[in-house]
Amino acid sequence: MPLLFPTSSIYRRAAGRLHKSLRRAISTSTPEEWDVVIVGGGPAGLALASALGSSQLVRESLRVALVEASDLSKVHGWIPAAGTFSNRASSLTHKSQTFLKDIRAWDHVEEERTWPMQDMQVWDGVSDARIEFSGSLLGLGSPVQGIARMTENLNLQRGLLRHLEGIPEVQILDRAKVQTIDRAEGDWPLVHLDNGRVLRSRLLVGADGFNSPVRSFAKISSYGWAYDTQAIVATMFHPPRGAFIGPNTTAFQRFLPTGPIAFLPLSPIASSLVWSTKPPLATALIASGAVVMSNMINAAFRLPDVSMRYLNRVILDAHASGTPVTAAQIQAEIAWREQSHGIDETSAYASAFIDAMKEGIPPSNAELLPPLVTSLQPGTVASFPLRFNHTDSYLGEGRGDRTVLVGDAAHTVHPLAGQGLNLGLADVECLSRCIQNALLQGGDVGSRTALLPYGQERYFENHKIMSVMDKLHKLYSTSFEPVVWARSVGLEVVNEFDSLKAALMMEASGKGLNGASVWDVAAKGVESLASATDAARVVRTGVAGMFGAALQGVLKKAGNSLSSQNKQ
Amino acid sequence: MHLIRRALHTTSSINPAEIAHFSRLSSQWWDEAGEFSFLHKMNPVRMRFIREKLLEVARDEQPALDASTTSVLKGLDVLDVGCGGGLLSESLARLGAKTLGVDASEANISIAKLHAAQDPKLAQPGPSTSLSYLHTPAEVLLKEAKRYDVVCSMEVLEHVDNPPAFLDTCAKLLKPGGHLFLSTISRTALAYFLTIFMAEDVLRKVSRGTHTHAKFIRPDELTAFFRAYPNTKSPWVATGRGPPTRTQAEIRGLIYNPLRAGWVLAPRDAWGAAECNYLFWVRKPLVEPTHNDT
Repeated sequence: MPLLFPTSSIYRRAAGRLHKSLRRAISTSTPEEWDVVIVGGGPAGLALASALGSSQLVRESLRVALVEASDLSKVHGWIPAAGTFSNRASSLTHKSQTFLKDIRAWDHVEEERTWPMQDMQVWDGVSDARIEFSGSLLGLGSPVQGIARMTENLNLQRGLLRHLEGIPEVQILDRAKVQTIDRAEGDWPLVHLDNGRVLRSRLLVGADGFNSPVRSFAKISSYGWAYDTQAIVATMFHPPRGAFIGPNTTAFQRFLPTGPIAFLPLSPIASSLVWSTKPPLATALIASGAVVMSNMINAAFRLPDVSMRYLNRVILDAHASGTPVTAAQIQAEIAWREQSHGIDETSAYASAFIDAMKEGIPPSNAELLPPLVTSLQPGTVASFPLRFNHTDSYLGEGRGDRTVLVGDAAHTVHPLAGQGLNLGLADVECLSRCIQNALLQGGDVGSRTALLPYGQERYFENHKIMSVMDKLHKLYSTSFEPVVWARSVGLEVVNEFDSLKAALMMEASGKGLNGASVWDVAAKGVESLASATDAARVVRTGVAGMFGAALQGVLKKAGNSLSSQNKQ
Repeated sequence: MHLIRRALHTTSSINPAEIAHFSRLSSQWWDEAGEFSFLHKMNPVRMRFIREKLLEVARDEQPALDASTTSVLKGLDVLDVGCGGGLLSESLARLGAKTLGVDASEANISIAKLHAAQDPKLAQPGPSTSLSYLHTPAEVLLKEAKRYDVVCSMEVLEHVDNPPAFLDTCAKLLKPGGHLFLSTISRTALAYFLTIFMAEDVLRKVSRGTHTHAKFIRPDELTAFFRAYPNTKSPWVATGRGPPTRTQAEIRGLIYNPLRAGWVLAPRDAWGAAECNYLFWVRKPLVEPTHNDT
């Protein structure tokens, strides 16, 4: 009898297996019917699921599923240690925040972990021409909200998941990888999952990122290029801003010829880094360790371009020789460069030696620069390649009928203005609105008729912003003198016109909820131009100032290159 | 009167040549980028007109009504005359109407059935949704006792041979207090230019021979028909000059915006909006005229 025992259990197990495979065969032959299947559980996919789930009309009339390969319970249960921040944070514009509040998802985002961005300081790494954007220009009701709100992507994703928890009508199928997508001739798309389930969907949404499987299924072609640029991200710690400078609510961005470096505030003592630079340099910087990197970050916001080029070479050479630069070495190099530029130890531009305990009145111009980074949060240094990519259409055709793309699946943008996530959320808002409009009129939400307004509204809008980002990247990646001069003049002229600046900011911060308000501001700009004498004065002083600045820049440059030659 | 003039020539409303024309095109009904793309784009606007008008009437009768805008069609018996591939019928059924689509072309009906079979919501009629199709001329339905809350006939009137007979059939198929919705093209020079010269001859967006200018009907002719219907003593629309009142009949222009590639529902009484495509609504009086009146 004891012998029979294991045998019967083997039988039972075999029978179980048979039963399981039988069940799988059955489920393969009869697909489940869904109205909307969203592939991808990133911020865009989750936001779409949330937006649809927040509409009573959708809940009553559509079956919505979200498919995600990874385990979303990890995101849902994300509990960061006190005082630490995820390295992926985005500046959510007013428009994005309003959308998230409208669908009641913002209630679930931990607001204490978000931080307002009230001002922006953007300057040219070669000429130092500068443009300042202040939240007060926009006439914002509450200064707390800022131009945008820095939010960790994980905080947003977790908030969206918590929101979806209360919407049982929207089903989340995570830990389920899409194996293939196909369709019978003229029929609806079939999504085959690796757990054997097959979903037949009225509408298939690709929120599956840059390498979108949905996009390749729908045979939607795209065009784009790699930038030969790597973006380094990290969470940086620094002392709180000193007296008279105010809280840490200013974003800083310096356009270096190697790429822009951005400092985005997360809390009084923490900020997020997005440093776009050449791939070999990114590798060398990351390999040189957190202390050297902190020094380099501080220097990159402060030292003239010629010295940055020298320091970059030091880092690259050391990396190539296999003996990374030590912190002491890089500090000595920075101190030497500062000395040669005449930067005093007490100057705001000095960063070789950081005295975190320094109290008292900050040096002049301290408000023009980010606080000095003292350390990087362990484990947050990462990098990814930058790309420009835009599909030829957001809607599938023919074989790809009933397919639509949102977010990074449709467009990958240069992150230099932090617009990627905002564009994705704007897509989601528009698509969910189109779906609800179609439902109201009894339409088929997978039909071209229902989706066409989405493509019409978003394609041009995204393309416009993406092109601007691309042109800016290219414009600022040169140190060719005439180009530097022209872009500096442009920047400083813009800086003189408050109304023009406000219009630009509305685009960047998405405050212009409808076109009208942006045009109002533009109209005001024309009005102010109409007062001719005033305008003439502004332009005259502006241009004169710029000539001076450009001349100074050239002289400074000449001096710098002399001193750097001396040093070598 | 144009309507009466045409009525003299023919007796049945169905034109065999028209039926053959649409049967040839039937396979393209659901190609949203093809021959019928204009109709696909027009569909949401037509649905909006139907929904909003029904809601307006419902609120007139029950001011306290808190009907959500989607439930107004729920449970109504709706007939779609000349349903074609079922563009409108499917939308009506999705909003909960018990919909019957009829068409004189057998090919159209089979395409409509085939397309609805793909959609699980329409293929398995639930308690709220039911959609059926029938290959029949509307006149045959008069023999049955069933009458409808709403009769729609979209882009059909300009294809029938005997409009008065056709309108009479539609009117008789309505329950008292029922709603008749029509959409068609006005007989104007503009309509000739846009729907025949541009759409068929120049841009070739629509097959040649789809429309015949002489068969177009002007909105005032429709109003006049219902002012005299069923007899001048108890008309559906009160006699008198000027446009009909909001509670009796309504004419709304449908304007194609080539830049947005979409249709716009013109506001009520917009000047010149009904010069080409337009929507027409009329309501059957709640009380049937008695024989004493006739």
